[in-house]
Amino acid sequence: MSLKNVLSAGVDRRSVLAGMAASGAAAAIPRRLRAQEQITLRWWSPQSSPEQLAAYETQIRNFEAQHENVRVVFERTSDEGYAPQLAAAFASGEVPNVVTHLPSFAVSNYWRNGLLEPFNDVIEMIGPEKFYDGANQIYEVDPGQYAGTGIGNSAANMMWLRTDLMEQAGIEAAPRTWDEMLAAVAAMQGGGIFGAPLPYGRNSMTSLIFIGVIHQAGGQVFSPDLQVAIDSDETRDALEFYRAMREFCPPGATNYSWGDSLTAFVSGACATGIYTGRVLINVATQNPGIADHVTCELYPTKSADIAPWTFNDFPSVFIPRAADNMEATKQFAAFLFDPEGYIQQLHAAPGHVLPVLSTIADDPAYQANPIIERYSDEVSKMASAAAGGFNLGWESTAHQPNAKAGEIINSNVISEMVQRIVLNDENADQVLGETTARIEEIMTT
Amino acid sequence: MSSTVIAAPLLERRYARLGALLIAPTIVVFSLVIVYPLLAAIYLSVFSIYTPTLEGEFVGIDNYIQLFTEPAFWQSLWTTLIWTVGTLSLQIVFGVGLALLLHQNLWFRSLARSLVLFPYFVSTVVAVLVWRWLFNDLYGAVNHGLMQLGITDMPVDWLGSMPNAMIGVILVGAWKYFPFVVIAVLARLQTIPDHLYEAAKIDGAGPISRFWDVTLPQLRSVLVVIILLRAIWDFKEFDLIFLLTGGGPVTSTQTLPLLVYQEAFALNNMGQAAAYSVGMMLVMLVFMLIYIRRTRRES
Amino acid sequence: MPFLRKLAFNLFTWSLVLLIAFPLFWMIVTSLKPQTELFRIPPTWLPETVTFEHYARLLFDTPFLLYFRNSVVLATTTTIFVVLLGTVGAYSLVRFKYRGRDTLAMLVLFTYLLPSVVLIIPLYLMMVELGLSNTLTSLVLAHTTFALPYALWLLRSFMEGVPEDLESAALVDGATRLGAFKDVILPQLLPGIISTALFTFILSWNEYLYALVLVNSDSARPLTTGVMTMLISAFNIEWSLLMAASVMMSLPLIIVFAFLQSYLTRGFGAGGVKG
Repeated sequence: MSLKNVLSAGVDRRSVLAGMAASGAAAAIPRRLRAQEQITLRWWSPQSSPEQLAAYETQIRNFEAQHENVRVVFERTSDEGYAPQLAAAFASGEVPNVVTHLPSFAVSNYWRNGLLEPFNDVIEMIGPEKFYDGANQIYEVDPGQYAGTGIGNSAANMMWLRTDLMEQAGIEAAPRTWDEMLAAVAAMQGGGIFGAPLPYGRNSMTSLIFIGVIHQAGGQVFSPDLQVAIDSDETRDALEFYRAMREFCPPGATNYSWGDSLTAFVSGACATGIYTGRVLINVATQNPGIADHVTCELYPTKSADIAPWTFNDFPSVFIPRAADNMEATKQFAAFLFDPEGYIQQLHAAPGHVLPVLSTIADDPAYQANPIIERYSDEVSKMASAAAGGFNLGWESTAHQPNAKAGEIINSNVISEMVQRIVLNDENADQVLGETTARIEEIMTT
Repeated sequence: MSSTVIAAPLLERRYARLGALLIAPTIVVFSLVIVYPLLAAIYLSVFSIYTPTLEGEFVGIDNYIQLFTEPAFWQSLWTTLIWTVGTLSLQIVFGVGLALLLHQNLWFRSLARSLVLFPYFVSTVVAVLVWRWLFNDLYGAVNHGLMQLGITDMPVDWLGSMPNAMIGVILVGAWKYFPFVVIAVLARLQTIPDHLYEAAKIDGAGPISRFWDVTLPQLRSVLVVIILLRAIWDFKEFDLIFLLTGGGPVTSTQTLPLLVYQEAFALNNMGQAAAYSVGMMLVMLVFMLIYIRRTRRES
Repeated sequence: MPFLRKLAFNLFTWSLVLLIAFPLFWMIVTSLKPQTELFRIPPTWLPETVTFEHYARLLFDTPFLLYFRNSVVLATTTTIFVVLLGTVGAYSLVRFKYRGRDTLAMLVLFTYLLPSVVLIIPLYLMMVELGLSNTLTSLVLAHTTFALPYALWLLRSFMEGVPEDLESAALVDGATRLGAFKDVILPQLLPGIISTALFTFILSWNEYLYALVLVNSDSARPLTTGVMTMLISAFNIEWSLLMAASVMMSLPLIIVFAFLQSYLTRGFGAGGVKG
């Protein structure tokens, strides 16, 4: 029943054979490939700012120097573009060899549909002991099989603070609970400065941040066996908190997405922020005047006995099952974690993309970067927060992986729920009931 | 037709063949590159297709039943109509108005024309990003200018609440696309013979009645086509609304193209998206037929 | 016109023009500001320091020029293709009689009513089977198909505006059908052709969705997707580079239009019919 009848049959058989051969030789892969004809590997990623691109080129050059018959071509995709592009690629069989930096729910989605090559061999090549504890658990979609692994970590809902404004308002310690948070932003708001840049728009940032707030209230979106559990007292508490924060956010927050929220803090207009370590880079280039007064903490929870919950979208690396030259591909995927190239890649967005290997985080070459040095406390806070982070695809260590997380976020059902209750004042019981029904529908299609 | 010598039946038929030959390449290109995907889309709409793999199972008219019984399609249709009518009216009014102004002897006229066409030149993605920046409540120039001029004293939330969001979207859409009307109308204005205006002036007609009685009838044929083309294009517009408001607040600016995209790539439900598209196409077809019949009757 | 009225008219019109072009002014100003001035609150109308570093970085550190070349080739080829097919097709639709002529015109527009989101994946699969995936040729084909209906209908209406007597007169003088077309109709049609060529060029220059899915490698990538994917990601937007890139993407169009302006002015072909 598919449009690619002829193409798919041949490809499947070929890749299965390749997979068997590769796994047979997995245990003792020599560092060099046997001399063969010229092969080309394709590498896709949506993250390709000029600095990141330079880092990728270093990695490609180093790999090609070690393997003369291999050529690696980097092809950039984008955060909105990768969905249709990969759909077209999978359908036609013309898949790239390695894809990096896609969020983890995309990976579990493709894995559940049998499109990916198990990543176990590559993890073996890298050295499983080098990873942070449990860093790969989110990718263990089926027990014993890894769909991919993270190429970096991001702690996306860190609370950013302006220490100068805190001092002015007489706030001595960073807020830990919601009550402290509300008091702090109320005290700091004024004179053209707003308390916080929380998103209330119909977009993925609102959904993702609010899922964090639900957890910070002690609740969850799904139960550990993936029953919808969003209609709960904890969610109502979260909505109340989010509603209370609204008056401390700028008027345009009703349409805020990532870029707006970031700039609101970086430009100095907000006393607190909620973002990844990207804040440090942007403050350094766009508003160095506040650079000495910026620090971060874990975002407050409802009460001190509820543990903080960090949102990490676990930018991933995976290999499509239908990729050719599987042996070389796995070698290349492992090579991406080679310290010289990997550190340069991390330095392209210091603090924003954090290492998944604890060995790298401790490596002095990694720490020898102006931003990482200057903000070393903040960076290590973020690194450990991210390593212990979660997202809708994997809400806690007890939860099963959720392959439908991506669709739930993209359908905007959660951000719409926030808008309807917080902005439009609709009846919470009714909206939560409808939201539950809609999420259940998405889970079953 | 006044050519008496040429109008022999045999020649007519030979010319008819030449005529068919001239349109043939167009038809070939179409059949190859549009008809196949079009048929594929209709074919997809009776399946339930998982987008990343394009595999699925036959579900008959289930997708269409969902289309009729659930409010999503109809709400989006209503929103699309509001958006299309709103932005199209502004595009035509401003388009014709600016074309008339730029037709006169203006200082540095060529420069003025180039500048007026700028919104159409710039890519939609960039235009939307710039407008979002300008509309921003903290550091945006629009709010800043309004406050400097004393018109408001607090920044306005342009895109996050209704009806501002729909108004904002309509205005940006009008700004972006009205130059298309300007180009086409300006080209037509060039070929209106002077003597028509002279005759009207001699008859004592003022500028306004000269516009109604001479210019407008001459523009009619071009305007009919422009309205049709722009209406289709505005109806299908995706990038602008998606990037400006994402369909929000809630779903108040979610037009049909946004619904189709969400179904196809966010919910990974290509079959349902194809069904919505077919529905969208039928709606546009009905409007198009009504429009063409009415304008043909008047001419 | 008395001077005061002329002045008022010019001031009024120019205010409108400047208001419309304000975002361009904002883009240029922003691209010349250093990053530290980008989000100044309140915003500065003119840059405090002028810098060309973003342009330099864009031209020398990124594949911008490669994308630029691709876009120029793509848009020019598409325009030539579309204008040729469209002019000839419009001539056929208006001046010839054959069966199914009007239904053909309707069908051409009818195929246009589906949103591109749904057409895109089947189109890509077809390109793969034709062996054209990932090439500029596939984009030329794709762009032609959505520019052609527009061009056809627009040229058709311009063609209808050309008086029939001109052609008949030429035919009476012994010219062939095609000769009459070349010598008599084409000059009358020139403003219409120019405006159609212009909008086709712009359409192809700014097209994003097809380029996103059909082309992946830098060697065939045009400016739209090249610039966007390079500078815009979910968590960050490189504003300064983006503004510089946008200014450079808009400039060729402004230049092309300024060059074609003279063909749109009065006097060219007007007054061909006396009495």
